[in-house]
Amino acid sequence: MTTPIIRASNLRKRYGKGSLALDGASFTIGAGRIVGLMGPNGAGKTTALKALLGLTPFEGELSVLGLDPRRERDALMQDVCFIADVAVLPKWLRVSQALDYVAGVHPRFDRSRAETVLGKTEIRQRSKVGELSKGMITQLHLALIMAIDAKLLVLDEPTIGLDLLYRRSFYEMLLNDYFDHERTILVTTHQVEEVENLLTDVLLINHGRIVLDSSIEAIANRYLQLITSGEHVPAARERRPIHEREVFGRTVFIYEDQVASELAGLGELRTPSVSDLFVAKMSGGVQ
Amino acid sequence: MNARSFITLLRRETWEHRSLVWVPLVVATLIVVSAILSTNVTNSIEIRVDGEESEFFARLAIDTAKQSQLFAVWMSSLILPLIVVGLTVLFFYLLDALYAERKDRSILFWKSMPVSDTATVLSKAFTALVVVPLWIWLLSLVMGLLVFVVVALKVGGTPLAPLGSFHVGTWFALQATLLLNLLVAALWYAPIAAWLLLVSAWAKRAPFLWAVLPPALLALFEDIVFDTSHVAQLIAYRLTGFFRSGFGIADVDGRGSAEHIRESIRVASEHLSALPLLGELHVYTGLAAAAVLLHGAVRLRRWRDDA
Repeated sequence: MTTPIIRASNLRKRYGKGSLALDGASFTIGAGRIVGLMGPNGAGKTTALKALLGLTPFEGELSVLGLDPRRERDALMQDVCFIADVAVLPKWLRVSQALDYVAGVHPRFDRSRAETVLGKTEIRQRSKVGELSKGMITQLHLALIMAIDAKLLVLDEPTIGLDLLYRRSFYEMLLNDYFDHERTILVTTHQVEEVENLLTDVLLINHGRIVLDSSIEAIANRYLQLITSGEHVPAARERRPIHEREVFGRTVFIYEDQVASELAGLGELRTPSVSDLFVAKMSGGVQ
Repeated sequence: MNARSFITLLRRETWEHRSLVWVPLVVATLIVVSAILSTNVTNSIEIRVDGEESEFFARLAIDTAKQSQLFAVWMSSLILPLIVVGLTVLFFYLLDALYAERKDRSILFWKSMPVSDTATVLSKAFTALVVVPLWIWLLSLVMGLLVFVVVALKVGGTPLAPLGSFHVGTWFALQATLLLNLLVAALWYAPIAAWLLLVSAWAKRAPFLWAVLPPALLALFEDIVFDTSHVAQLIAYRLTGFFRSGFGIADVDGRGSAEHIRESIRVASEHLSALPLLGELHVYTGLAAAAVLLHGAVRLRRWRDDA
């Protein structure tokens, strides 16, 4: 991994007198990675992003592009772009005004690029955001953000509420038109299947803590999925799987840091998918 | 934050709050239209002279100094409706300025841009205290000229003809005075604008009530418990003090003898400038209060996290 652009150590955040939204979360993110920050609803994903973006106070140590988001947010926003949520563009804003605004305040905005992207859509420059469909608003927001040459792009549930076609084209655009191996993308979602093929790294968060911080390649080295049945099940269980479930009469085990050769005789071995790992890590051990 | 960014922030305010632009424009247009439509020309200059009008205007015809005084007073009186309307739209603008963006969550978009909270809050205060007053001044300037032309055409060949002569030097001096007055007004009203922005950044709902009720209740509390009215007086002075100290326009009483009218016009024309107000300590204590309140609004916008 190259020099980390995000280094978070023991992040803690409590809303009011409720439970901890971040409970000692620590992680690092390297430059040029596409990182999925995933976890169930309420796991602390959005709070972690808000901390990174300097939108909320928190405790702990955090450095983003060498800056502290609490004290140096203004400088940080020169190099960081984010879509915190879909549907935050105000209804009164015209498309042409949105372009004028970003062009006016952002030194790294390439207006012609945004206009080219918008030209391929149904979105007219005269239109107000309030007149656009939800999918079009997301397209507009994305066209604006992707025309900004930022070092770090943060997306929080970018496709929530969109239909399948938009979701598909969203991630295609992200990967084909934007990502260039120098930029870093951090995306949160609870729909793991949708993003697992484009990620280089996975961060799983639960109850405010990071439960998995791994590159996709490293997952293959550390995790094994064993599919077996019948007489092998008790032996497989003895190898201390981190998760076990029944699928169509067969038992699927997931192991962490187990030697493949010791499991080889027990059934069919493969690398678990991110979704499988997500389920294993979130359900917290053998059920 | 460079000039281009800041101008963009100001443009953004006029996009969102279009009433800041068109409400004064509509009022200015209405004034011109009513001057055109009015049959009694004296209505448009708001001076009624009972009985002695021919004598009054006959003397006015040979006294150009008095003429130019009257010219200045009635020209400046034209801006008053614009100021009243401007203050009203600005009041609601400032209450909305940092509230609407939280309500519609667009703050998350604005905050994704490299624009500091300080620049954002200052752009809103600047819009209220400088941009809109300049717009009102510009409108009143054009409107004054149009109304003058209408009146001049109507009074030609009548005893009121002296009202139709244009006093170039007086006009330029008056425009400069009005412009300076608006800037003095900006300084005078800065703490109120800052208070409204603070409430706008703070209120979870009903910013209007939060802006108005606490000062009112505080005044009431003081009245009941201590039987004094320092708070009420302070607020009243801040709201109306500008018009008492500057702008003598309100002193013109059109009813009474010709002599009385001449005198009140003279007094009014000598009190058109609000510059003497800058000699009052209240302007500067107000500015200090405004700085504190604006700082509070910036901090609230920076750290609030409920969008």
